[in-house]
Amino acid sequence: MPASSASMTRYILGRILQLVPVLWLISTIIFVVMHMLPGDPAELMLAGAEGGAITPERLAELKREMGLDDPLLVQYMRFLANAAIGDLGSSVRFRLPVSELIADRFGSTLALSLCGLAISVAVGVPLGMIAAMRQNSAADAFTMALSYVGASMPVYWLGLLLILFFSFNLGWFPPAGADDWRSLVLPSTTIGLVAAGLIARLVRSSMIEVLREDYIRTGHAKGLSAATVLWRHGLKNAMIPVITMIGLQFGGMLAGAVVTETVFSRPGVGRLVVNAILAKDYPLVQGCVIFLAFVYLAVNLVVDIAYAWLDPRIRYGR
Amino acid sequence: METSRSAGLEAGAEPVRRAPSVLTRFLRSRSAVAGAILLGAWIFVAIAAPLLAPYDPTETVALARRPPTAAHWFGTDLLGRDLFSRVLFGSRISLQLGLISVALGALPGIALGLVAGYYAGLIDTLVSRFVDALLAFPSILLALVVIAALGPSIQNVMIAVGVASVPQYARLVRGSVLAIKQLPYVEAARVIGAPSLRVMWRHVLTNAYAPVLVLSTLQIGNAILVGSGLSFLGLGAQPPIPEWGLMSAEGREVLQRAWWISTFPGLAILSVVVASNLLGDGMRSAFDPKMRM
Repeated sequence: MPASSASMTRYILGRILQLVPVLWLISTIIFVVMHMLPGDPAELMLAGAEGGAITPERLAELKREMGLDDPLLVQYMRFLANAAIGDLGSSVRFRLPVSELIADRFGSTLALSLCGLAISVAVGVPLGMIAAMRQNSAADAFTMALSYVGASMPVYWLGLLLILFFSFNLGWFPPAGADDWRSLVLPSTTIGLVAAGLIARLVRSSMIEVLREDYIRTGHAKGLSAATVLWRHGLKNAMIPVITMIGLQFGGMLAGAVVTETVFSRPGVGRLVVNAILAKDYPLVQGCVIFLAFVYLAVNLVVDIAYAWLDPRIRYGR
Repeated sequence: METSRSAGLEAGAEPVRRAPSVLTRFLRSRSAVAGAILLGAWIFVAIAAPLLAPYDPTETVALARRPPTAAHWFGTDLLGRDLFSRVLFGSRISLQLGLISVALGALPGIALGLVAGYYAGLIDTLVSRFVDALLAFPSILLALVVIAALGPSIQNVMIAVGVASVPQYARLVRGSVLAIKQLPYVEAARVIGAPSLRVMWRHVLTNAYAPVLVLSTLQIGNAILVGSGLSFLGLGAQPPIPEWGLMSAEGREVLQRAWWISTFPGLAILSVVVASNLLGDGMRSAFDPKMRM
């Protein structure tokens, strides 16, 4: 259908264009907040990142390197121009481009988030379906209580409990590191289980709504097997709102891997930001946060497009 | 009410039933009441901590890393401090964190949403664009940026978590205001010449309080969760403050030998957050089951 594919292209282009002002505004907010620092940023950075000995020569060098003596507006314009071409500045502590540091670690964060996402879907979708099919049963109540607890649990605490049980007591998986797939199991289970609770709740409510639809009754009436009705007609339609949620969760995992990476000592982007904050390595903090925001927005864009593709009403929508 | 009831009875029909009040509906929900009781219990613990705690939370009172015993219910921590006393005192930090950061997020958020919804036009466009941009951004990143700028401390965590929730309040209040603004009594107040501020305050805001109250209750739990996470990372409360996230982090290094140091503070956070979520969800269904957050 040419009309439909044209509307799809228009929709995608429109969404990408909408992204530009949002990115600009977010980068500006981050820039402004990071430049509201009390005191001399160069001194703070040297004290934090290089520990102790601040020589006037190094101070002057850093100020020149980072252009800290220029008016703020000039710094801001330079920051925007560089960010637009992917140059996020250099880390004070590592003396390397921020983009290089991120590139080294993003793979680890991505692997963690993808596995976490797989676990959250594998656990959350079936649980939500069982709860919806057995609405108001003991199984339903138990599933929902579980998801409630999951959503109220500190992520790091769940991680510590998993380490305690599966590493120290059973010795199945290593408690830390990022060597092979076995070291990925516990961290991705940690973030996966927290998201699984939310997904289960949404699958349940969406499924209950869909099961009341006329086409489900029609399916039963024309003699389709219960499984066909449930899988082909029920789940497929119930998944539409769930897809958005899963996408948001994935973006959230990428951006929020900070805590999980710390618990399991994984060398990811989240860990990089936390260490950068502790070391007052401001360019690195700024670059990482902008990068994570960009990834988060890009994931949401892909989700929106998938959503519009699944549900054509959106494209022509209000 | 009395007349309508007796009229109904005379006609031999069912007595006219009033819709149950918000409070009745709230009290009928077991989970909501459980949440209220649990949160109330924690508030009591926070107030009475010095009376309830058997030991000083920051003083070494026994050997380090002792498992739970009759004298030390939750065991002792790395420095030989009584963990039970520290968990009790920790409720003060966490509830303060929850309440203060909610206030710091709600007040500017409500003001922004009110102004945007009430005045509409250019102001609304500007505020809404700004709010949308912030909402398109994971709040944990916003909190991290604020902490990076201000430095790690428990006060700055309150600011960071509060600032990160401003856009949610702004969006919620704007939506309510847009709906309420259309109602006849607001129009009436404007027709009789009431000043904008008075109309906004007396007639619009007082009728938009329900969703704000629900969001704030849920946000208390969320703030405690995020705030303790920041403290766990070393970006919030600093030693020797008995903050639950920090205590969990302190126990992390000795998890294998002293599981209790990390476990009990986490359990405390879980129970407070569950309580605030149960209470918030219960309030939401009592006010209006269809309310969107």
